[in-house]
Amino acid sequence: MEHKEFKVKWGMVIDIDKCTGCGACMVACQAENNIAPMQDGSDKTMTLTWMLVYELSNGKPFPDHEIAYLPRPCMQCGKPSCSTVCPVVATTKDEEGGIVSQIYPRCIGCRYCMAACPYHARYFNWYDPKWPKGLDKTLNISASPRPRGVVEKCTFCHHRFMEAKEKARYEGKDPLKLPEDAYIPACAEICPTGAIVFGDLNNPEHKVAKLAKSKYAFRLLERLGTDPQVYYYSKREWVRRLADNYLSTEKTKGE
Amino acid sequence: MGLDRRGFITFLVGGAVGTLCTPIPWKTLDDVSIWSQNWPWIPKLQYGKRSQVASVCKLCPAGCGLSIHKVGKRPVVAQGNSTHPLSEGGVCPLGSCSVRLLYRPARVKGPLKNNNGKFEPISWDEARRILSEKLSSGKAACISGDENGSASEVLAGFLSLLGSEDFYFMPSDAQVSAYTWSQMGGKGQIGFDLENSDYVLSLGADILSSWGTVVRNQKAFATRKGKYIYAGPVQTGTAAAVDEWVPVYPGQEGVLALGIAYYLLKMGKGATIDGFSEVKNFVLSKYTPAVVEAKTGVKINKIKQLAQELVAAGSPCVIIGSDFGQGSGSFDWTSGILLNLLLGNVNKRGGMVLLPEVKVVESAPSRASLSKNVLGEFLKNVVSGNKKIDVLMVYDANPIYALPQALQVQEAFSKIPFKVGFSTFLDETAVMCDLILPAPHFLERYDDAYTPFGSGKVIYSVAAPVIKPVVNAKSTPDFILEVAKSLKKDLGYKSFEDVLKAKASAVGADFEDLLSGRTKVSNKWVGQNQLRLSVEILANGLVPDTEGTFLAPVARNYLGNTTQALTPTEVVVVRDSELKGRDLYVQVNRTTAKKLGLKQGDKVKLQGAGREFVGRVNITETVMDDTIAVPLGFGHEAWDEYVRGKGDNVFKVLSVVTEKGSGFQVWNKSQVKVVRA
Repeated sequence: MEHKEFKVKWGMVIDIDKCTGCGACMVACQAENNIAPMQDGSDKTMTLTWMLVYELSNGKPFPDHEIAYLPRPCMQCGKPSCSTVCPVVATTKDEEGGIVSQIYPRCIGCRYCMAACPYHARYFNWYDPKWPKGLDKTLNISASPRPRGVVEKCTFCHHRFMEAKEKARYEGKDPLKLPEDAYIPACAEICPTGAIVFGDLNNPEHKVAKLAKSKYAFRLLERLGTDPQVYYYSKREWVRRLADNYLSTEKTKGE
Repeated sequence: MGLDRRGFITFLVGGAVGTLCTPIPWKTLDDVSIWSQNWPWIPKLQYGKRSQVASVCKLCPAGCGLSIHKVGKRPVVAQGNSTHPLSEGGVCPLGSCSVRLLYRPARVKGPLKNNNGKFEPISWDEARRILSEKLSSGKAACISGDENGSASEVLAGFLSLLGSEDFYFMPSDAQVSAYTWSQMGGKGQIGFDLENSDYVLSLGADILSSWGTVVRNQKAFATRKGKYIYAGPVQTGTAAAVDEWVPVYPGQEGVLALGIAYYLLKMGKGATIDGFSEVKNFVLSKYTPAVVEAKTGVKINKIKQLAQELVAAGSPCVIIGSDFGQGSGSFDWTSGILLNLLLGNVNKRGGMVLLPEVKVVESAPSRASLSKNVLGEFLKNVVSGNKKIDVLMVYDANPIYALPQALQVQEAFSKIPFKVGFSTFLDETAVMCDLILPAPHFLERYDDAYTPFGSGKVIYSVAAPVIKPVVNAKSTPDFILEVAKSLKKDLGYKSFEDVLKAKASAVGADFEDLLSGRTKVSNKWVGQNQLRLSVEILANGLVPDTEGTFLAPVARNYLGNTTQALTPTEVVVVRDSELKGRDLYVQVNRTTAKKLGLKQGDKVKLQGAGREFVGRVNITETVMDDTIAVPLGFGHEAWDEYVRGKGDNVFKVLSVVTEKGSGFQVWNKSQVKVVRA
């Protein structure tokens, strides 16, 4: 499929060295995007976590052991594996900003996209969402509640992008030249250590543009060619090494 | 003209091809997928005008400023207030759940009266009448979980007007530190100026996961000027992010502090405190590096290195605390304070600072004097009959669940004839009460937070209700003021709002300003008189350990806390290495597992304090040798289906020791016997 280039490319740089694994991003995401609570969260094949914090280990025994946390939203790939396999055009990458869309009413629940996504960033509604009495009153107007049989994923809080653009238009500004922090997803906004930095990767005035070029910046499974718009950052070599399948003779990126 | 066979087929095929050229089949297909997703049980979005209002989180003592996103009149999302000094736009996962907690199934829907084990709804008038009657003839006591709110002041003030001194805070590091500091002759509330420190050593306090002003700690860490070191038994969120993790056995951080103090004293560091030479000789003779290494598991070279780095730093700061925020003793705090005194950073930029207290309810005792009241001691006296209490009021606390020696707590409860639970949720304590008088969720009430424990500055924030109570709840301090009036006791205020207004003017802030989310911040420190230190307290670190494996409880805000059980939204945040279905994992490393003969997934019992805790083994190298880490926050028996029956409660197996010299109850050094179940 044709690969589109965009003038604006929203992206994240997540500083793994700052992440304490607190889970605030996950909770903020659940509330912002109207994900219903579940009674059993242990079976991770059934849960809906658009943002998921993974625990990383350097694999060494105590006392040489180190851990790190890796928050994983949708990578908003430049060359998405998911949209190319969707038989009903329910997921596309065709809008300025480079966010991979997810159009729930079109989704037929075939889950090809889930199989295709190398990042496990997509989730399937195995059951209808259950909102305890009254809890539906806290529904945000950002995302319609999805029924059983639909695939969903992180959209970089796309509704916030729409609002920011609308606001810019109303104020007579260029909606394609949003200033830093005019549009920011819920997870990045709430992060207590500011580990998640969000902005336009193509705009040199935005922090992410500079951070993504750092020698300590990397992406997950970079050599797969998916061209993710989510970058990570860590000064720890073992963390960067876990991000891709390296041969034992290969040097880690950034070394 | 008749229709022949050829014509009929032409018509059919033509029709079929023709239809395909129209949008009908495509539109129909599209509609089918929309219709098949449009079920009446899938809620529809209720649109409205978006707005944001300020609030202050009261789910834990950290006092973060919130920005509540609203749609119409409905709050929908909680984000951080970017202008609030304790949140700077950040929120912890618990605070992030706050809006949804309005409708948590476990909420108490209205005032309830226990009629022989069955709860019956009553009116607020009747509740007031019953409580006034009980209080007019009996001796009252109160347990509060609100460390920094004026509600506790109203309760304490009311109690002293009733002639009772039995006001108790739930045990916390805030209380132990306040007690220790006043015993040393110090004044003010201990705080840590992390923002201006260039070397932060946290001994035990899990500052980036759960301890103190947790979001502000993380903000300070993110813009750090120098190194952060964490000493504790488990690689928590703090250990994952800081520059260095120093593994130390659970509850032995005070010993490590004295081990570092040893080197500082050897370097000639001193402090102007009464009894210093005695203290110096004691530390130099008793806490020698070899002794400290054996007790803490920290190598001599590492202790020395920490001492050298602290001395080399421009503005070092040593934080001390329990690994899980409670159960520490005067020994731990004295050792930590001594270290700060030796470093000469008390009331210095970037060091340990002393912040003033403010009180507006005249009859309420000061915070420093309230910190002397030890809850565990009180419950023991109730059980033994030394103390006779007729009415117990519990506000914003869950002592039945969140205290060690639960059997003793239950027994004490059963000996008190009348208990009132001012609880927002139907927790383990509420179900044991005779009256449940629901407090509104913090988004439904006026509330405040004055200088949350750990903060390096005086910070006062106040919040107005964001939404009308969604259940029949009533602000507890307002209700108490009503009860006081009916008992002809004058607290000096008509409403809780007036109390907050008085406090605002006492700290020199404009009330309306505070309500709009602006906070009163002051850098005023309290000057100190001559301090004193006795070696009796310092000897507590030399008590030999008992037999068994060290137990390291771990507190994380995504697992709830001692007052709020795991929230429905946080259920999916719990890792599959922490909880599997209803089985809780206990964490041990490979060496310890081998020593204990345990394999991954084995069912084990931890035995301690005469009780048992059941869990499964997860082998992880995030825990130090000879230590077993267990998350706090599970094993709930009340609440709702999101938490009830999941895992086991580690409080059951924490063993309590009475500390010599202070009389404090300490439970951060528990050891357990591990047996296969």
